[in-house]
Amino acid sequence: MSERDTDGARIAEKACETLAGSIRGLAAYHLNACVRCGLCAETCHVYQGEPVPENHPGAKVAKVAGYYRKYHTLLGKYAPRFVGAKDLTLQLLDELIETVYGRCTACGRCGIHCSVGLDVAAVIQTGRNVLAAVGKVPEGLQRTVDNQIETGNQMAVPPEELLSTAEWLADDLKVEMGDDDASVYVNQKGKRALYLVNPREVKFFPLSLMAAAGVFHAAGESWTISSKVYDVTNYGFFSGDAQSAAELTRRVVEEAKALAVEEIILSECGHGYRSFRWEGPNWVREEYPVRVRSVLELLDEYIVTGRIKVDPTKNDERVTLHDPCNLVRHGGLSEPQRRVLRAVTRDFVEMTPNRQDNFCCGGGGGMLSMSEYGDRRIASGRVKADQIRATGAKIVATPCHNCADQLLELSKRYDLGVEIRAVVELVYSSLC
Amino acid sequence: MQVNSKTVEFDKDGFMTDPSLWDEKVASAIAADEGIDNLSETHWRIVNFIREYWKEHDLAPPVRLICKELGVGVRDLYKLFTSGPARGACRVAGLPKPDGCV
Repeated sequence: MSERDTDGARIAEKACETLAGSIRGLAAYHLNACVRCGLCAETCHVYQGEPVPENHPGAKVAKVAGYYRKYHTLLGKYAPRFVGAKDLTLQLLDELIETVYGRCTACGRCGIHCSVGLDVAAVIQTGRNVLAAVGKVPEGLQRTVDNQIETGNQMAVPPEELLSTAEWLADDLKVEMGDDDASVYVNQKGKRALYLVNPREVKFFPLSLMAAAGVFHAAGESWTISSKVYDVTNYGFFSGDAQSAAELTRRVVEEAKALAVEEIILSECGHGYRSFRWEGPNWVREEYPVRVRSVLELLDEYIVTGRIKVDPTKNDERVTLHDPCNLVRHGGLSEPQRRVLRAVTRDFVEMTPNRQDNFCCGGGGGMLSMSEYGDRRIASGRVKADQIRATGAKIVATPCHNCADQLLELSKRYDLGVEIRAVVELVYSSLC
Repeated sequence: MQVNSKTVEFDKDGFMTDPSLWDEKVASAIAADEGIDNLSETHWRIVNFIREYWKEHDLAPPVRLICKELGVGVRDLYKLFTSGPARGACRVAGLPKPDGCV
């Protein structure tokens, strides 16, 4: 047996074990339920952007399901282990990698249109779990997970840099608000809320962090960031590495306890919201000791209760909203951001379709961290670009930094000429 | 991309695959792709700062340093590079793509 085959057999065996561990009743149903009706094709932004058979959601399910069936052959009474080891080759693994990481953002839209209710995104996630267990995660994505585990945040920004950036932003904020008491609080014990941010806000796009600090100040909020644990994202969720995902979740819970806060507030982040609020307790196998909300819910509360005063004429241009899949379709949070935008902008228009039926921007599922699929990412964003253009909006608000990056690039590639903003930025600029 | 006699290659995110081939002409060509026809003096100061920082630290500098060291307003930076510091300025400076949500 050649070295490559031996390697393949070893990896395949581990993949089988993982699959055996991750397939339970409902998952087995999803892997076997596809009736090949084909209705899902047009629901998929990847297929619309590049209509080849491999991008058909049904074909992606079949790819993962085929693997599952091979596993059953392996354990079948007529097939001893070495038969499976021959079947499950490295080449098959490579095809699986492209399918589950490079042809699908796990946005879940096909699932809600599926004639038999098959959860395609969950099937893809199963495929990712298997690949993560055998160390076959695409390099850019894996590096991002490693950064997060090793340095505490996915962009490897040192804690000192967070402190310096907070000071710098606080200085600018005092000037902009004309108020010396405005600040960006870091590592303060006993505040009401621990605010988690996307490291992208610290390193490259600090205006949303500054805006949040400004709105918190206007609301008289008691809040702090932790310089040690501040990352709202969880790339273990994207790669399918539940162990890393659990570790990242646990760190936040421990920090919330250490700083004695009453609530954790999540910055605008699609998968961050989904993974921390909904998946996290399952990973760490315990109930959170404190309440968890998205900053969108907090902004909504400030406005509805009159805790902050806003003037919609300060955001005069037409604004539309992009719904991040992980926040809305998977996370169930769709209305607070709409109430907020209607209150803080003069001309808010929906794109179509929206809410649970939104189209993915094309950058979800960790796609932005995998350059090898860059062309497909842009092609699969065409449907979103068309949606935006049809609204005539000048500003696209999106409560997700990952979507924001993709939308920024779509604006350039499809010549949309739109500005991309976090919701909190529009709230900040509407403050009276 | 062909710049003068040089063949420069990019990854699928538009970042240079071999940053050592970078020079001012390459920067101008990437900038044109960004929709910046003429790099102003401020553009150049930002690009050169990013490049020097990267050579020393093997990392893109945070926005804070760019703004503080060069005296550029944070809101102005996004007007100069509409794709932002990562996909805009770092790309023009010939850096490889930074990891993560960018």
